[in-house]
Amino acid sequence: MNCVLNVTIRNGNEGDCVRTLEIKDLHVSVEDKEILKGVNLTIGENEVHALMGPNGNGKSTLLAAIMGNPVYTVTQGSIIYDGNDVLAMPVNERSVAGLFLAMQYPQEIPGVTNSDFLRAAMNVRRESPVPLFTFIKSMEKTIQDLQMKEDLAHRFLNEGFSGGEKKRNEIVQMEMLRPSLAMLDEIDSGLDVDAMHIVANAINNLRQETKMSLMIVSHYERFFELIEPQYTHVLVDGKVVLEGDGQLARKIDSEGYDWIYDEYGIEAPKEKQKNKRVTNTIGTCAVRTAAEAKK
Amino acid sequence: MDTIHMNTDIQLSQGFSQYVIDTHRDIELTFSADAGEYEVFVRIVNAGKLRIRTFAYEDAHVKYLFWNDMNHACDVDETHEVLRNANVEVAHAEINPYAVKRNTYMALRDTGAIGHLVSSSLVASDKNYTQNVVNFAKHTTGLIDNFAVVLKGGKLYVDAIGKIVKGASRSESHQKSRVMCFDDGQSSTVIPELLIDENDVQASHALTIGRIDREQLYYLQSRGLDQRQCTSLISAGYMYPITVFLSDEKLQEQLHAEMEAKLINL
Repeated sequence: MNCVLNVTIRNGNEGDCVRTLEIKDLHVSVEDKEILKGVNLTIGENEVHALMGPNGNGKSTLLAAIMGNPVYTVTQGSIIYDGNDVLAMPVNERSVAGLFLAMQYPQEIPGVTNSDFLRAAMNVRRESPVPLFTFIKSMEKTIQDLQMKEDLAHRFLNEGFSGGEKKRNEIVQMEMLRPSLAMLDEIDSGLDVDAMHIVANAINNLRQETKMSLMIVSHYERFFELIEPQYTHVLVDGKVVLEGDGQLARKIDSEGYDWIYDEYGIEAPKEKQKNKRVTNTIGTCAVRTAAEAKK
Repeated sequence: MDTIHMNTDIQLSQGFSQYVIDTHRDIELTFSADAGEYEVFVRIVNAGKLRIRTFAYEDAHVKYLFWNDMNHACDVDETHEVLRNANVEVAHAEINPYAVKRNTYMALRDTGAIGHLVSSSLVASDKNYTQNVVNFAKHTTGLIDNFAVVLKGGKLYVDAIGKIVKGASRSESHQKSRVMCFDDGQSSTVIPELLIDENDVQASHALTIGRIDREQLYYLQSRGLDQRQCTSLISAGYMYPITVFLSDEKLQEQLHAEMEAKLINL
């Protein structure tokens, strides 16, 4: 059963000129397996959206498809950002257009230093190269903001970094590149409590400064308490099945997803159904279940 | 800086020295070093066939960096003689787009001799290297390290040979080569060879030849870099270590800038 509760999410009045990401009827496949099955989503300027859902239901796929990861094939639908057809752009142009994806598993690039990489990435956004002094000052401030080691600039990109360092380095890049829409894919996983506060502060400060929008994938209420999303979307089996305000993220954190399946008559993901069956067979009804299975 | 136009025998002075080879003729050069510390930078601007010989006498510690800046193909034949307790490191920077044929022979003649060959190559044409490091005496160490980035139209061939002769016991021969390929239409052949004729020795070889990882490329592109910029950046990671091979900071800055200018136009 498909149940899409449409919630209109907009910032500003009709006619306002705002940077909006509009995703319509998005279908995405990986090696002929369809992961996203018609996603509709709109994110306005200066908005914070939480993207939630059980594991393996398409959250990371959605973010990767927006960024243009070549592993994912868009088979149907559209993504428009700031009036431009995102799907027609190569990955690098999407970044220059203001999109940023803090990845769940950042790559290690031996031989490429953070500073060389970031300078090159900053320069593609400018008409003239960033002056060295300006870059160094900016890098130093960002390293301080994220409380990274001072030698970060000279270390190879993510090579030998701990899980937490990699995640913080994603936010370093975000702060240096100043996107207009940042997508954070489980950026809080691998962070201890202190590091989570540091990352959340950096995100909130940058948001205040630049009015950037955020789309955040996280399983943890603690992170959402710090970032405070205004909107929540729940993705199940490749579709947005429920949308609401920031309170929805809190409710999911405390009650899980089962109430959504029950209350809205949404079909639980196959993995979930499998789990239910397993639970059943170890209970008192195991014999009956086995007998029914024989029939 | 001395400019060399003709066959020359050079007795090195301790410390840092630099030379420019600029001639249209075939040329033979000999460098000799007695006990002491030396760093030698040789920029090859123009030459016919090159024949280079070096001698490191007892307790000489010498680092040579040969920087190929020619605007045509290069044909080099080298021998390096390393005597008792001498330590010789020879690095070749091949970042110009022209063909290179280089035959290098390093002989570790006496006890305690250490020899190290390093090459850093940006390959957009034929680059053909034969490297022989031979342990002739006990307690000698031979090392070979090759780094190459192969671009479209590039053809890399490396025959890297570490040889330990009978009687050179307790010697070591190690080599590693890393080759990164970016495009179709190129070929890379690296043949690591260990020819060991003695029992009590240590020897190893490591070789990686691969294309850039798609996920790595996507990661860099997701920050706004196009394919060409990614190629430059990753190539730089492979090539830059050779710019700091010698310790002179002014030279390092200069070579870094030259490298950057070449890589930005890939």
